[in-house]
Amino acid sequence: MTQRLAMLRILVFAYAAVWTVVRAPHLLDAIDLAPRRFDGIGPLWWLNEPAPALAIIAAVALTPIACGAAALGWRYRASSLTAVVGFLFLTTYRNSWGQIFHTENLAALHMGVLALVPAAAACWSMGKAERALHKTETDHEALSSAVLKALSVLTVGTYFLAGIAKLRISGFGWIDGDVLRHQIAFDNARKELLGDPKAPFGALMLRNSWTLAPAAIAAIVVELAAPLALVGRRIAWIWAGMAMVFHFAILAVMAIVFPYHLLGIALSPLLPIERLGTAVAGWHCRFRRRSMRLRSTG
Amino acid sequence: MRRWSIRLLPVFAALLVLSPLLRDPASDTYPLSTYPMFATDRGNVHRIATAVERTDDGFVRLSPKLIAGTDEAVLASVTVTRAVRLGEADILCEEILERLGADRQIEVRTETLDVVVLSVEGSADSTVTVHARCGGGP
Repeated sequence: MTQRLAMLRILVFAYAAVWTVVRAPHLLDAIDLAPRRFDGIGPLWWLNEPAPALAIIAAVALTPIACGAAALGWRYRASSLTAVVGFLFLTTYRNSWGQIFHTENLAALHMGVLALVPAAAACWSMGKAERALHKTETDHEALSSAVLKALSVLTVGTYFLAGIAKLRISGFGWIDGDVLRHQIAFDNARKELLGDPKAPFGALMLRNSWTLAPAAIAAIVVELAAPLALVGRRIAWIWAGMAMVFHFAILAVMAIVFPYHLLGIALSPLLPIERLGTAVAGWHCRFRRRSMRLRSTG
Repeated sequence: MRRWSIRLLPVFAALLVLSPLLRDPASDTYPLSTYPMFATDRGNVHRIATAVERTDDGFVRLSPKLIAGTDEAVLASVTVTRAVRLGEADILCEEILERLGADRQIEVRTETLDVVVLSVEGSADSTVTVHARCGGGP
């Protein structure tokens, strides 16, 4: 469990670092947007006008550095907290211009939990081991397990909420496929009218309208069944597979990218992701042994 | 963080992530969202606000970057819709013109059309309402 938590720390904070760098041009675009369009939301509800340009530039510059340091476990308490504050500020600020995006919510929540727990930097870390904080190895495993459960609960909770929202807003009529048809058509039409590329398979799905009701049922089943993934590893694997198909389908028919989910990081608290770390460590050891052999024979 | 509070972390996480259930589902925020994005039945006929460049041959569609200074089509769409709703189409038109160059002619407009027909057929009859026109050009 300690290794799984460490692997999650690496993946989540590395994702946030890369996201901030890749989206830096978009985040910096906000400096030139008309101030009248700004309306602070969430943690920035108190902000009535755009933040100074220097604050945006500083956040865009410092957040990936803090995220990178947190991923490496270097000065974890300070770096993880700075990373969370920076990432939350930038994503909230991005969402305060009239359109709330739903792609980074889970990453922000996962980072928040990981930053609360220094034990996340207990292994595969450049920092000093935090194990001294806890009396025994068993104790440490129990704590790691609790944190992993919290991260898993956040993952399945967001899917569950999305399913509930559909039922609360449109009722069970959502599954007849009409709502989905209109959503796909609207999203693609809007992209076309605003000079953005359309989804490659949107029109194909709309032409084959018999696919819409089964797709709607599948979508709502994935969302409402999410909490079952907490029951056991086998169910978690099955559900995670279905969730990945769900996100690739959204990408194909609506060209909407949920990068945190498509990369599988959103789902990784439910899976034995530590195997990735041990595999990398194993390759590293084999590589070192081989290069040492070559050096001694050369 | 105390050990007992870490053990209760999954419970806190559940309460936190499910807390939006106490809000109206349409009342969205960040990061604790109600996730209402695909929940509403939008119908098939829509009024979509956009901005185009007028040319001798008709018009050319503009990118989100030119319309609203962003690479996000959704944000560009919301920007035009909001400007039309608040009677600020003229201001938006001038902002677009600033990005494109004064010798061009910009039109901020609403197109009413069947989005299913447009997506399936590739084109659809639309009714155009012009809210603002600015710049030189044709």
